[in-house]
Order: sequence, then C-alpha cells, then structure tokens
Amino acid sequence: MERFAELLIASILLAGLYATMAYGLGLIYGVLRIVNLNHGGMIMAGAYAGWWLHEELGIDPYLALLPVALAAFLVGVLTYGLLVRRLPRGAAGGVQSLLLLFGVWLVVRNAAYLMFTGNDQTVRTSYSTLAVPLAGALVSVNRLAVFAAALATLVILHLLLRKTYLGKAIRAVAQNPESCTLVGISVERIYMLTFGLGTALAAVAGLLGATLFPFNPSFGAGELLKSFVVVVLGGLGSIAGTAIAALILALVEVFAILVIPAYLTAAVGFVLLVLVLVLRPGGLFGQRVLG
Amino acid sequence: MKPPWVRPRAVVGLLAVCAVLAVGPLLHGDLYAHNLVTLTFLGIAAALAWNWLGGYLGQVSFGHAAMFGLGGFVAARAQISLNMPMVPAWVFGGLVAGLYALVWGHPTLRLRGPYFSIATIGVGEATRLVCTYWDWLTGGSSGLSLPMQVGLKYRLYWYGLVLAALAVAGSYVLRRSPLGLSLLAIKSDVDAASDVGVSSTRLQDLVLFISGATMGLCGGFYASYFSYIEPGDMFGFDRSISWVLMGVIGGIGTIVGPALGAVIFVLVRQFLIASYPQLYLGLYGVLLVLVILFEPLGLTGLALRLAHRFGYRERPDLAT
Repeated sequence: MERFAELLIASILLAGLYATMAYGLGLIYGVLRIVNLNHGGMIMAGAYAGWWLHEELGIDPYLALLPVALAAFLVGVLTYGLLVRRLPRGAAGGVQSLLLLFGVWLVVRNAAYLMFTGNDQTVRTSYSTLAVPLAGALVSVNRLAVFAAALATLVILHLLLRKTYLGKAIRAVAQNPESCTLVGISVERIYMLTFGLGTALAAVAGLLGATLFPFNPSFGAGELLKSFVVVVLGGLGSIAGTAIAALILALVEVFAILVIPAYLTAAVGFVLLVLVLVLRPGGLFGQRVLG
Repeated sequence: MKPPWVRPRAVVGLLAVCAVLAVGPLLHGDLYAHNLVTLTFLGIAAALAWNWLGGYLGQVSFGHAAMFGLGGFVAARAQISLNMPMVPAWVFGGLVAGLYALVWGHPTLRLRGPYFSIATIGVGEATRLVCTYWDWLTGGSSGLSLPMQVGLKYRLYWYGLVLAALAVAGSYVLRRSPLGLSLLAIKSDVDAASDVGVSSTRLQDLVLFISGATMGLCGGFYASYFSYIEPGDMFGFDRSISWVLMGVIGGIGTIVGPALGAVIFVLVRQFLIASYPQLYLGLYGVLLVLVILFEPLGLTGLALRLAHRFGYRERPDLAT
C-alpha cells in the first residue's frame, strides 16, 4: 500500500512535466496545423541550456527558467520566420513541414553533440537528494519543485490565452484564420508568436526534465512521442484536457514498472499511442478552441 | 484510346541499363567499385520502397529501419537455426517485416494527418530496444554471425541488381498503373477518392505491406552481404534517416528520383561524410532543409526545370 501511494505521487508529479511538454506541441499544431518535429530538439536544447548555466555560471535551474524560455521563444520566432513561413500549408504542406522540421532537429542534435559530446549529463543541485515525507511516502523536493514550476507555467499560459488580447487573437486564428484577417489580426504575426510560445514551452519542459533525468543529444525523441500521445489523448481543447491526458500517460508509465521489465518502459508510450488511435480516433484534435 | 501506362522507351531503357550493369563486373577487376555498386543497389531498392509510402501516399516514415532490421534478423535466424536457403530466407524475412509493418501501421494510417509519421519515430526506437534485449532472435547486442561462404559477397552483386531492378519496375507499376492513379487520388484527397470508389483502407495497407516487405528483403540481403549483423546497426536511427534523405534528394513521389538519390547518397557518404563522422547527422539535416525549401522535388525537380528551359514538355497524364 505504501508502494502504491509512492507510485501514485510519482505519477502526479511527473504528469505536470508531461503537460507542459505536450502543450507546446499542441499549441503549435492547434494554431498552425503543423507538427513541430523539432519539439524534441528544443526539449534537448532546454536541458543543455539549463545544464550549461548551472555548470558554468552556477545559476540555479529554476532561476534559469525565464531566460531560457525567452531565448527559446526567440529561436522559435526565428525558426518560423526563416524556414516554416516559406512552406505551403494544409494537407499538401504536411509532408514538407515534417521533413523540414525534422532536418532542423537533426542539425540541433548534431550541434549539441559537437558542443557537449554524446555523454550523459545530469543537473545536480544541492537539493537534488533532499526528500520530504508526504502521505506516507518520501518525495523528492526537486520533483515537487518541478511540479510547482510546471503548474505555474500552465496557469500563466491559461491566463495568457484567456485574458490578454494576444491570447484571444491566437485562439481566434486557431478557429478561423480568414476571418481574422477581416477584423485586422495579422495572422502571420500570430503564427510567428505561437511558434515562439510553443518552442519556449518545449525548452522549459526540457530544463525541468534535466533536473530529473540524465540526458544526451538524442534526448527528446521519446519526449516528442510522449507529447504527441498527450495531445492525441487530451485533444487541443483545454489545459484541463491536457493535464488529464498527461496524468493518464504518467500513471500508465509509472505503474508499468510493476509488470514489465525496465527496458520495455520506453515502448509503453508508443503502445498507448496506438491503443488511443485504435480505440478513440474520432475525438482526436476534435475541439479546435484553445484556452 | 487510353495511352499505355508503361512507355516502351522506359522498358527498353531499364533493360539496357540492367544489361550493362550485369556484364560490367566481367570487364573490370575493381573489387572496391564492385562492392560499392552492390551497396548502391541495396540503397536504390530501399529508397524506392520508402518512397512508395512517403512519396506515393504522402506518409513519411522515420522508422523504416524497424522493418529492415526485423527482416534481416529473421532471415539470418532462419538460415542459422532452420538451415533455410538464402533467398527463401530473405523472402521469409520480408514477409515477417511486411506483417509487422501492418500491425502498427494499419491503425495509424487510418487517420488523416501526421499520425503515421509520428508513430514511426516511436516504432523505430521501440523496435530497436526490444530487439536489442531479445537474445533469442537477435543474439542481443553481440549480434548474429552467418556462416561464411566463399565468393558469396561477389555474387551478391547480381542478386542486388535484380532486387534494384524489381524495385524500379515496382515503382513504375505503383505509379503509372490504374492502381497508381488510385494512390495519387488517396494522397490528394481521401474523401474524394472514396467517393469515386477507391478503397483507401485496403490500398494503403497494401502499399504499407509491400514497402515493409521490400525493406525486410533488403535487410536479409544486407545480412548475407556482411555475414554479421547487430541490432544497434540494423535498427539505427541514421539508417531510417538515410532513406528519407535519398528520397528527398532524388525527388519524393517520383519514379526514378529516389534511385538517383540513393546513388548520390552512397557516393557522398563514401567520399565525404566518412571523413567527418561527427558531422553526418547535421549534414543530413542541412540537406533536408535546403532541398525542401528550394527544390521540393529534389534532383527530379531540378532536371524538369532544366528540361523546360530547353523546351521539353512532359505528357500531362504522365507528369510526375
């Protein structure tokens, strides 16, 4: 029973990270109808950015969140402005955008490999090994902090999409880009900002993940897949939907340790994806209203 | 009258090229070139098989190494443990790989959008992990060794030629036959295709199976060629990417484009990328980005553009 509580808490804390990670992918898909295959690359880049700031400048990973997010936002804006903007949209552009962003991912990966070698890295802070008792289980302080940071990110995002003009414009473009031009919203600018936002979310998730897991330049492939599972499962509808989907994925993953050997847990996310696609294909990406 | 879907010119051309390549090794003794061409044949067959899905159906796969590796290991295991002869073992490996592709591809191809492509990223990775730990099939990370046969590597040149020629012929059939028109219809608009009676479900599965089976066959060929295989190499991520790149360089969705892409790719890898092993992923990436941005049809697009400048107009019904 104690083990059960432990695993349950672990799942909930992990779900926060997954939700942040997935929302970046979902946001870009919802507004631009493009799957950002470089999502995994930016998760990895965020992890390395946090690690570098911590190792070289001694900046706490949680203090690095804001500057890393801003830098990733700029990278996203540039990626859109220089590359993605030139592609055709819709069904015909689907293959091209996939291939283009996949190419960008390869470049990012290779750059990280050249700069930081292929060795596994970890972000170790003074509180990495601290733990507090919670509901009869020992919980790492760092995991709690990751959860809190993820939660805060999602709340800020929610407020941004609901309360600000920019957020309303983003949601409007997601619903109907043509009408948006009629009422004077610059659709291109919204696309660019959305791409930046989604990229920033990926980097934030990567940075948070770096405090939990070891990573190397190929870090992010599994995370991209997990993000996709959450987006498919939760739809693009709401932050609540994303959170529930993230929780389901985390629960399945964490409890899978009990029944299957450890090396197979990497396949769990994928099996879940196929199951979701088979069992609940109709509701996927059903709602197009973000917020 | 409907124009025939295979031009005599194309058939004659293919046969002529094959004839030249078939007698070529008898005229020179350059073993290095001989082996390089054999590997090019393998690249051509695999790149075309990738293109049937990625080009004709518009379902890009980033994980075709899963079928390549599975086919290779099944073929190797069949030869070692069941004493199966080489070619039947390849076919057996191909069939298993094709069925495996259906298992995960069938549900994901049903849905519109990028589901299939995303799933392939997971399939490639998951298959590699599972097979690395599946000692019985793959021998674990130490791999499998096939019994050495004197002169086999030299003879495999002609097997490879047949494989590549079959793949080119298959590409013609899948593109130009009435079946090819159905595939084009599915790629352009699934709803409109089903309205005129094209069964997208069956045809997509068919193409997926053929593509996966050809990939598995190539894996079996590869296993016999090197007579030693291990999971990390067979299921490698860069292997999957190399086929994407061959297709993109040559021209996605065209008939001979990916074959051309495979030739260029094998040569470039041999002479350039081998000297910069730490840069190859980035080079692949830069190439992908450049081709997609500036010439989405790759070399074929470039050739068409040049041909147009000199006044050539392709028959509209055969336009790539």
